[in-house]
Amino acid sequence: MNIRFDDLPTSMPTTNRPQNLGSSMNDDASRLDGFTKVTGQAKYGRDQYLPNSLFVGFVRCPVGAAELEAHDDAPAKAVPGVVEVEISGKDGQYQGHSVGYVVAESPAALARGLRALTVKWKRGSVKTRIMDEKLETPDPNDATKDLLAAADHVLEAEYSTEVQTHASLETHGAVIDHKGDSATCYVSTQGTFAATDGLGEAIGLPRSKYEVICEYVGGGFGSKLNGAGKEGVTAAKVAAKYKRPVYCFVSREEDQVDTGNRPSSLVRVKIGFKNDGTVLGGQIRSWGGVGVGRGGGGIALPTGRYTLGKLQKDHTDVRLNAGAPRPFRAPGHPQAAFVEELMLDEMATIAGIDPLELRLKLETSQDRREMMQLGANLIGWTDRQKTGSQTSVLRRGFGMGTTAWGGGGSQAECEVVINRDGSIEARTGTQDIGQGQRSTMGIIPASVLGVPLKFVTVRIGHSTLPVGPGSGGSTTTPSTAPVMQLAAESARKQLLVAIANLNGGDASELDIKDGQVLRSGKPLMSWKDACAKIGGEQILGRGKSEDVKRGEGHSQGVQFVDLTVDSETGVVRVNRVVAYQACGKVIARKLAESQVIGGVIQGLSYALFESRVLDRNVGSMLNANLEMYKIAGSADMPHIEPVLWRKGQTGYRSLGEPPTIPTSGAIACAVFNAIGKPVRSLPITPDKVLAVLQGAKS
Amino acid sequence: MNPFAIAKPRDYAQATALMRDVRFKLPVLKAGGMDVVDHLKEGLIAPDLLVDVKRLRAAGRTQPVSVDGARIRIEAATTLAEIVEAPELLRQAPVLPMAIESAATPQVRNVATAAGNLLQRPRCWYYRNEQFNCLKKGGATCYAVEGENKFHAIFGDGPCHIVHPSNLAPALYVCDAFVHLTGGDREKLTLAELYHMPDKGVRDECTLKLGEIITHISLAPAPRSGFYAVKEKQSFDWPLVFAAVALELDGNLIKRARVCAGAVAPIPWPLPAVEKALVGLNVDDAMKVREACMKAIDGAVPMSQNAYKLQLLPVAVHRAVRRAAGQTVEA
Repeated sequence: MNIRFDDLPTSMPTTNRPQNLGSSMNDDASRLDGFTKVTGQAKYGRDQYLPNSLFVGFVRCPVGAAELEAHDDAPAKAVPGVVEVEISGKDGQYQGHSVGYVVAESPAALARGLRALTVKWKRGSVKTRIMDEKLETPDPNDATKDLLAAADHVLEAEYSTEVQTHASLETHGAVIDHKGDSATCYVSTQGTFAATDGLGEAIGLPRSKYEVICEYVGGGFGSKLNGAGKEGVTAAKVAAKYKRPVYCFVSREEDQVDTGNRPSSLVRVKIGFKNDGTVLGGQIRSWGGVGVGRGGGGIALPTGRYTLGKLQKDHTDVRLNAGAPRPFRAPGHPQAAFVEELMLDEMATIAGIDPLELRLKLETSQDRREMMQLGANLIGWTDRQKTGSQTSVLRRGFGMGTTAWGGGGSQAECEVVINRDGSIEARTGTQDIGQGQRSTMGIIPASVLGVPLKFVTVRIGHSTLPVGPGSGGSTTTPSTAPVMQLAAESARKQLLVAIANLNGGDASELDIKDGQVLRSGKPLMSWKDACAKIGGEQILGRGKSEDVKRGEGHSQGVQFVDLTVDSETGVVRVNRVVAYQACGKVIARKLAESQVIGGVIQGLSYALFESRVLDRNVGSMLNANLEMYKIAGSADMPHIEPVLWRKGQTGYRSLGEPPTIPTSGAIACAVFNAIGKPVRSLPITPDKVLAVLQGAKS
Repeated sequence: MNPFAIAKPRDYAQATALMRDVRFKLPVLKAGGMDVVDHLKEGLIAPDLLVDVKRLRAAGRTQPVSVDGARIRIEAATTLAEIVEAPELLRQAPVLPMAIESAATPQVRNVATAAGNLLQRPRCWYYRNEQFNCLKKGGATCYAVEGENKFHAIFGDGPCHIVHPSNLAPALYVCDAFVHLTGGDREKLTLAELYHMPDKGVRDECTLKLGEIITHISLAPAPRSGFYAVKEKQSFDWPLVFAAVALELDGNLIKRARVCAGAVAPIPWPLPAVEKALVGLNVDDAMKVREACMKAIDGAVPMSQNAYKLQLLPVAVHRAVRRAAGQTVEA
């Protein structure tokens, strides 16, 4: 293997966007674990096949609703290698609902055991769609009635979105290596410390006697925020019983039905506005399809990014025979942005106003208003034709959407160790769920200490390391980065004081740049020589969240979409996406760009393809795989141009969730612009586009 | 997955003998293995013997694709990637590389074989789901009828409403292809003879008997041929509908047309009404050609969720005609 990861192209090709070079602490660093990940050297929890392991698999309800009437464990127990059959429940409320588990000596024995188990289910009737519920919209109250009466126009429309599954590449699970009086736990989690706490009862050991290791996570998007999860807890219980390593990772099908999702939604809107685009307000009635979840189907509408007058709001979560939602990359937000942005474009069209002009008028943030103007120029908004004016087979559409996300910061502690051989360790227990935590935690001390990044070894994803937050709400970087900076600054100060004490002079005259210690700007000694002089064993710099002054503001963003609709087939192809995104201080340019690109991709996939399909009669998911559950692939990718917003950006802020929020709305607007009729239902598939076009003709 | 034996026969005669070996209850033929492995993982088959014919070639044949007199010959185990790359096909039957190019992914095309593509089982999500004991698995119901049938058939009277998944079969049909057999009394079959409708047996889709093995495919050159697939996703997706067309032209005049659709019926679906309507038309007369292509949906009866295919099919046929005629298609 002769390719070095660092030799690969470093920059997204661009048409005319401003380069993001110079925007960050480190413009050129590639993901520190990129090479180990793409070459398969990185060991995920799922890869931990330990000697002498037991394997656990769940006994699950096969349909949307069924009661376990009877079971005969004997045929399963008779399978060679099956160790235990445990049935503890009988009420199957959704497909994948677990009522017990089987333990076996090998994956093959486990599969055979599960198959041999005789289970008699009595099926019940199922509800699989929001519309299976009686949907009642309360009458507008008097204030709403007055607003609507005063309006020049009232838009009345119904919007809907489907369930999106997280479809993390690494499914959910854990491996618990129980050694009797201690244990090592490999958990695929977004919260190393929450997972550690979550195992407590099941593992039967004091918190001090076991550790959780989570060096790599194959995606989570919010679905791995539930402590150690059912999988980890069950594995721990079995491991405690047999004092052996226990492997419990679920299959793709199980992952699709039982590890969370973004709930479906249905939104009815009645909104009044003036000829000049002023929005007076109206009524929003929404429903969330939450499966067996208790809540979690809320939709963040209105988003607050536009002045929309007074809105009367009612929301109901609808219980269905399906898996419950879990947090999913900006819960409730992409749904809301889809409705709000498309609604704005519809209102603009009715009032005869350019949708960009309407947004500039209603926009509540000056930052976004500026992004809108610059982004419109980049995407070529002047090429946008009037909505409904095109008659050609291929119709081009332009659309836009907005986003914002708060700062956030949770408890975090970091350590920076400088060893006498010049090597550096950056330590904090928080995991890297793919956003680049390992990289940012290395780049910060390297940058503060003035040494090449390769001097730093990053230690993360371990419950014995300094405490750090779970990766939820886009808070990992805002929580840990300023603390890591404090730790690095403390280490730097200690080192410079030590050097000053040895060489005379004042530490304030000393600086470190490119691995050289400078005095008053002149080279004094190399980094290595300086470290060799450290008294004692090492320098330890510490930082903790209490000492951090948080950055303020929001991660604002605006996205523009240029796409083509084939009016004969209904197929939508996205050509370009321009994504303006603020995220505070950028640590690593390429990783920040990658976060934005990833958000756009997931938003595009949500807009055009993703949908959980349940059989309406039985309640089983028909596309519980990655073949028929459609996720955007390489040939569906537009040219994505991330622009990192630098103006007035201080402090470390969120970047995980904000860039995925606006994409689906922008795409829906662009489709509307292209074909002249709104497709008010995600995903925007050819059959829906054709139906809307057909309706337009008749 | 249960234990099974894998046999690697020396030649087709031995392969046939193994398939008929009474010591085995369920021998299954495997070439690229794409669909067989799916079936094993999905718990749909539990064979006790896999007969691996991936490396077999007919006697004296080393080239995956060759010219054999007036016809072109494709060995059964030729990979889809080899079909795309064969210069003979690109010139003499462009419909084939066009059909394959839009199938699956490069990784799949490197492994999947020509005969395997023809004999792959349907992708119907009820058939593929072990929980649904549908007609194909010996059950009493086609769950698609009252259930989710967006991707199902618009032709045929049932009782099963799958669509045949092969991209290659309609393309071969329009090239007047034969599949050549060994291991039985039949030497060769047309594409129409290879498949049967569900009312002639719902458990399988093809007419091959146990031990009959496809050794190669032969086809007539069709230099004016084209293919068009409508897909939701452009990466790794099964088409919503697709069409293959071969034309014989006299100047601009269509002398003969062969038209076959896919993803609309339980078998590759020839469209004789379109063929007939196209003959005698000026291929540049867009209006008339489009009108002829509208006949593609004669006799179609959509299910509850797939009426959109009625709109798509004539478009796909028309675009395939235009590609066959060497015209540019916008999308």
